[in-house]
Amino acid sequence: MRPSSRNRNERELPFGLGMILMAWFCMIAALGGRIDAEEVGQRWGTELREREYYPIVSIPIPKDLVIEAGAFEVLPDKRVAVATRHGEIYLISGLDESKPNPNYHLFATGLDEIFGLSYRDGVFYVTQSCEVTRVIDSDNDGVADRFETVTDGWGYANYHEYAFGSKMDPAGNLFVTLGLSNSYDSFALFRGFVMHVSPNGTTSAYASGLRSPAGIGPDEHGALFYIESQGPWNCSCSLKAVSQGSFHGHPASFDWYPYAPELGPVPEQPKSGSRTLVERERVKQLVPYAVIFPYIRMGRSITGFTVNRTGGKFGPFENQLFLGDYTQSILMRATTEQINGVWQGACYPFREGLSTGILNVEFTPEGNLLCGGTNRGWPVRGIKPFALERVEWNGKMPFEIERITIEPNGFKIAFTKSVASSFGSKPENYHITNFTHPYHAGYGGPEIQRSTPSIRSVELAQDGMSALILLDTMSRGFVYEFDLGLLRSNDGEELLHKNAYYTVNEIPNR
Amino acid sequence: MYHWSFAHADCYVERQSAALVTSAVSRVLRYRIKEKASVGMKVVPAARFVTKAWMTVWIMWLGWYSGGQTECRGEVIVPGLSSKHPLNASQVGWLLRSELQCAACHGKAKTELEQAEGDFGLEKTAPDLSSVGARIAPDYLMRFLQSPSTVHPGTTMPDMLLSRSPEDRTTIATALTHFLVSQSQERFHDDSVSRERIEEGGSLFHSVGCVACHEPKIKLVQEFEGEDEELEEVRKREPSNTEPTRGLSLEHLPGKYSKGSLSEFLYRPLNVRSSGRMPDMKLTPSESDAIASYLVGQSAPDSQARKALTIQPELVERGKKYFEELNCTACHALPGTVPGEKRAAIDHSKLSQGCVSDKPGKGPRFSLDQKQLAAIFASFRTESDPKPTKELLKEHDQIALTLTAFNCIACHVRDSYGGVSKDRDLYFRGTEMNLGDDGRIPPPLTLLGAKLQPAWLQRVLFDGESVRPYITTRMPQYGNTNLQHFTDLVAKTDTLDGVELRTPSPESRSDEEKALERRLRPAAQELLGDKGLNCIACHNFNGKPSPLNKGIDLMTTRERLQPAWFDRFLRNPGGYRPRIIMPYSWPDGVAAYKNILDGDTNLQIEAIWYYLSLGTSAADPSGIRRPETKLSVSDSVRTYRGRSGVAGFRGIAVGYPERINYSFNAETGTLTGIWKGDYIRVDRGGQGSGNFNPASSPVTFAQDTSFIADWDSTAPWPVRPVMTKEAPANPNPLYPKNLGYQFRGYYFGASNNPTFMYSSAEIQIEDRSKVIDEGHRLMLQRTIAFQSSSDQSRWFRAMTGDITESAPNVYTGKNITLTVPKVKVLLREDPSDVDSKELLLKLEIPKGSSQIELTYELQ
Repeated sequence: MRPSSRNRNERELPFGLGMILMAWFCMIAALGGRIDAEEVGQRWGTELREREYYPIVSIPIPKDLVIEAGAFEVLPDKRVAVATRHGEIYLISGLDESKPNPNYHLFATGLDEIFGLSYRDGVFYVTQSCEVTRVIDSDNDGVADRFETVTDGWGYANYHEYAFGSKMDPAGNLFVTLGLSNSYDSFALFRGFVMHVSPNGTTSAYASGLRSPAGIGPDEHGALFYIESQGPWNCSCSLKAVSQGSFHGHPASFDWYPYAPELGPVPEQPKSGSRTLVERERVKQLVPYAVIFPYIRMGRSITGFTVNRTGGKFGPFENQLFLGDYTQSILMRATTEQINGVWQGACYPFREGLSTGILNVEFTPEGNLLCGGTNRGWPVRGIKPFALERVEWNGKMPFEIERITIEPNGFKIAFTKSVASSFGSKPENYHITNFTHPYHAGYGGPEIQRSTPSIRSVELAQDGMSALILLDTMSRGFVYEFDLGLLRSNDGEELLHKNAYYTVNEIPNR
Repeated sequence: MYHWSFAHADCYVERQSAALVTSAVSRVLRYRIKEKASVGMKVVPAARFVTKAWMTVWIMWLGWYSGGQTECRGEVIVPGLSSKHPLNASQVGWLLRSELQCAACHGKAKTELEQAEGDFGLEKTAPDLSSVGARIAPDYLMRFLQSPSTVHPGTTMPDMLLSRSPEDRTTIATALTHFLVSQSQERFHDDSVSRERIEEGGSLFHSVGCVACHEPKIKLVQEFEGEDEELEEVRKREPSNTEPTRGLSLEHLPGKYSKGSLSEFLYRPLNVRSSGRMPDMKLTPSESDAIASYLVGQSAPDSQARKALTIQPELVERGKKYFEELNCTACHALPGTVPGEKRAAIDHSKLSQGCVSDKPGKGPRFSLDQKQLAAIFASFRTESDPKPTKELLKEHDQIALTLTAFNCIACHVRDSYGGVSKDRDLYFRGTEMNLGDDGRIPPPLTLLGAKLQPAWLQRVLFDGESVRPYITTRMPQYGNTNLQHFTDLVAKTDTLDGVELRTPSPESRSDEEKALERRLRPAAQELLGDKGLNCIACHNFNGKPSPLNKGIDLMTTRERLQPAWFDRFLRNPGGYRPRIIMPYSWPDGVAAYKNILDGDTNLQIEAIWYYLSLGTSAADPSGIRRPETKLSVSDSVRTYRGRSGVAGFRGIAVGYPERINYSFNAETGTLTGIWKGDYIRVDRGGQGSGNFNPASSPVTFAQDTSFIADWDSTAPWPVRPVMTKEAPANPNPLYPKNLGYQFRGYYFGASNNPTFMYSSAEIQIEDRSKVIDEGHRLMLQRTIAFQSSSDQSRWFRAMTGDITESAPNVYTGKNITLTVPKVKVLLREDPSDVDSKELLLKLEIPKGSSQIELTYELQ
């Protein structure tokens, strides 16, 4: 499609030519998407052990339905609303039954690729590609009949321009991430921005520098984060902390600052080939990437996330972020902390072997993790065109790295089970390396300046549940990669996942 | 309603239900196998016989067959032991001891065998009785307890009361029944069965796999037209199981269950019987209900016998005492009961006296035939022959025992054992009959551990994964606690020498790898497609259907298979599946396609393996077509949002049941296209986001904004910003919001007809169309309603194109006529295009509510 005032072609189009134009449109879409066939990467190889703790239950989908889940919301009546790429909203009950045979109720249809769903006071706030919409069942017959535009205050003119919406915050605000027009450019208004939508619909630019964002929402501390994909100015996928006026690395969106006086002056142009650490000093709005997911090892295109507030129903990882990856059909965890005013944290493998590309995740009322998505368009390991799956904790405690936090001269590693002191008190059982990424305009990029910091001391807590690791040196701007495969629990178990990755933006002084 | 009784009063045969299902099942099961010539592929000789002639299935119901006299013998039936199993006598005996749970009582000195049995999760458990009172009719319980093997021939439940007088038997069984029924909160109650469900249930029962272990209620007989010696020869050469299957009869079910309680059991059998001998058949509640309807039938339960039991506390108390005294607790643990003392280890020299003999004394009595007894005897280690123990612990024996215990071998072949028996063959059906037997018979388990990725095998065993939807028989689920040992076992025994199939690494590729990838990728695409080996003739690809036979999706390969097996299978399909229709593409290692990758066999196979690692982004091979989704309108109006050439990125298509449709560009507030006939086609393949296009040729208009708040009529109409390849950025990003336009959504009225809401500065606008159907004239009447806080005027661009005024207020464009209200009209040349005109209406919009009407008629 070529928007133009010259409509002669369009209105006099013989049908065959229309088909050609349609094909051309599809082709442009395909080329723009850089869908060079890509492999999906190596496996963690932990599926067989993971299933002993976190089995996956497939949720049956009636034969005639296509549920390419893009967003979930849990309703007050405990039904789960699932919004899809086909633009439909289903209300599903019975997801948590031991042998699920859920009821699917089609609530709304005819919308355009939904990647954000929030419910408040009887109204759905739907982020679809073209706008944010209030979807209402005004005559209470169980089916939506009113679709009110809350905001369409941004351009939408290129196929790559996806929109992901947050849930409503307690004050009624929504945040929407707007993907660029392609990986490199912002051709339509506010592409590459986070938009803030106030309860009355007033829409303003909130943050810039996005590339191909996915989910947005609060972390365990209530701070706002969004998910970014690997690509230009992003050597890996990452979780990024968003604040008013923040800039997230991709300068394509700078052209639209004149339309967003609320953001202040245009940031300095970042220098390609530099480091985030360096550019932070110059580009004062640049917020360093809070949690970097080393490319391939920790996903290739991470998508939606949610916070585990199940009160222990989902096992030992309360208050942590759970997120999926599209390409590898895997789930991961992340934790965050704020040091010297800057957000950073760690990511951890969690579960592989899902059946389709994961677009979004949400905890069900019974504390199971509902995952859904599709596998079309981009390379995906999972073989199903779409699926809904429920990951549940069976009550068995896995031996895992529970969380890594930073210390003035090192890290504290918490475990889910007591580490045998014969293993846990020996520094040689902790393999720690670090690397950084270049900060550059190229598509993706290598891990560079890899080194192995020497461990000064290891102090395993009396109960074996945590270890304090002190290093000789700590470097800002580096990802610290932990390989604790040599540790054993008191029961002689190996860690279910031996790796974790902590992104150091700041080092506490205390 | 019939009860049909035979020698034993409890052997029911439901003539009527059997007759009823005959027609339904015949619909499902009658099939013909077509000539494979149309498939356009090479047919291997071994498979040719299947195509030889029309095959007809004759269906008869033979009531005597299923209810028959032979079934009322009492001997224990272990279905797996009537399959073609590989166990020697001592292993059979050992399995029988496991199935009869000898160790539950004789547990003190666990033999090594029993230890091993526990170790690999084979131990059978008895049904959970905690809710038996709700599940099973009390009168059945009473009768069953008095003589299990006469009431349910083949049961593994021993007769606990054989040594008692008839009066005692009744007394004890009554007390036990009171006790058992009192255990559950809910009570058993009868319910009604609907006839339609019976039909459906009959065809499910005979097709999803129940008859692998149970007696069919309808016998299928196969007859060929004419003799076929070649076929007979082939059949003789193949390992097949010609022994008749001895399945467990289900004739006792109408007396035992209500339709509802049986349905609940069938839906989640593992809740009651956790050891998985009766597996979960992946039935939906509705399917469980249908099968239960069929099995319970409409034989009305004897109202006398079915009288609800009034629980008598003193009988409950006595029943509990009996329950403990008789050591029922050994197998059926119930809360609040005390397990009895374990008996001494079995002394096999005394087998002629104990609970397996005719002189059981006061203990339980198992009904076993001579062969079974001999096997049990042989299963004991003797000082002179200690072999059985060691043998048993070998992995291949453990596999054989497992496959027999769960009767996997009723459906699957492994090595030289197992496989569908001749008398069950016709119940194995498929929906892709051109795939031959592989389209209906579950796959062989030979080399299973070398074939499947362990994680995939786990998913098949425990998560219900299946990649063969065309096989009607289902792979059951045996429960997470059973079969846990199985993946490791087959991984140990089943090995193939590895070949290295290269997959260029995802990142940081070397130049060499890049070059290899550039070679392999197009080659594999060609090989898979219809210009090459035409794999896609019988395989779906990446979720898209094969143009011919919808066999296993090739994209599942890397998730499921191990590379060594893949390599060998491709080279020699028939070596792995005797009757496979998959052709030999590299006979004797020589590639059939010499022009691809220089005919290098290794490289060709490697290329395919690599290609299937590309996941869902691998380009479709030639011959696979991307399915197009056509949306249609049924009995109410349909509204669909998506990008479109005719309506912009914020496009909306509205379709009416009268088969007229229009598109609306919500970004500009403009009706942009009208067409008759089918609604829209949408693109939901690949990355397609649901972009729509009219399903038939539309009349289209310019998509610029229709209303402008403040405009000098001598100026050109403000048109949409133009983005080109050279200048792709939007030069006027606020258009048309900077002209006062804002979209506000839409709502559905009667028949879901949408009203669009938008505003032009302070004027709120509602825009709704409806269909005027005058038979030969189909028109769209559009009402635009205004709500204004003050008197306003607006220019409205009603139409663009080659327009002429054909009558007062009537304007004709190409293939369309538009009738406009009587207002000031400006029809003028489009300043930027001499061939085009635009029709502009000057609207005087008063304070408050007002509206205009426009009528569109397609030629």
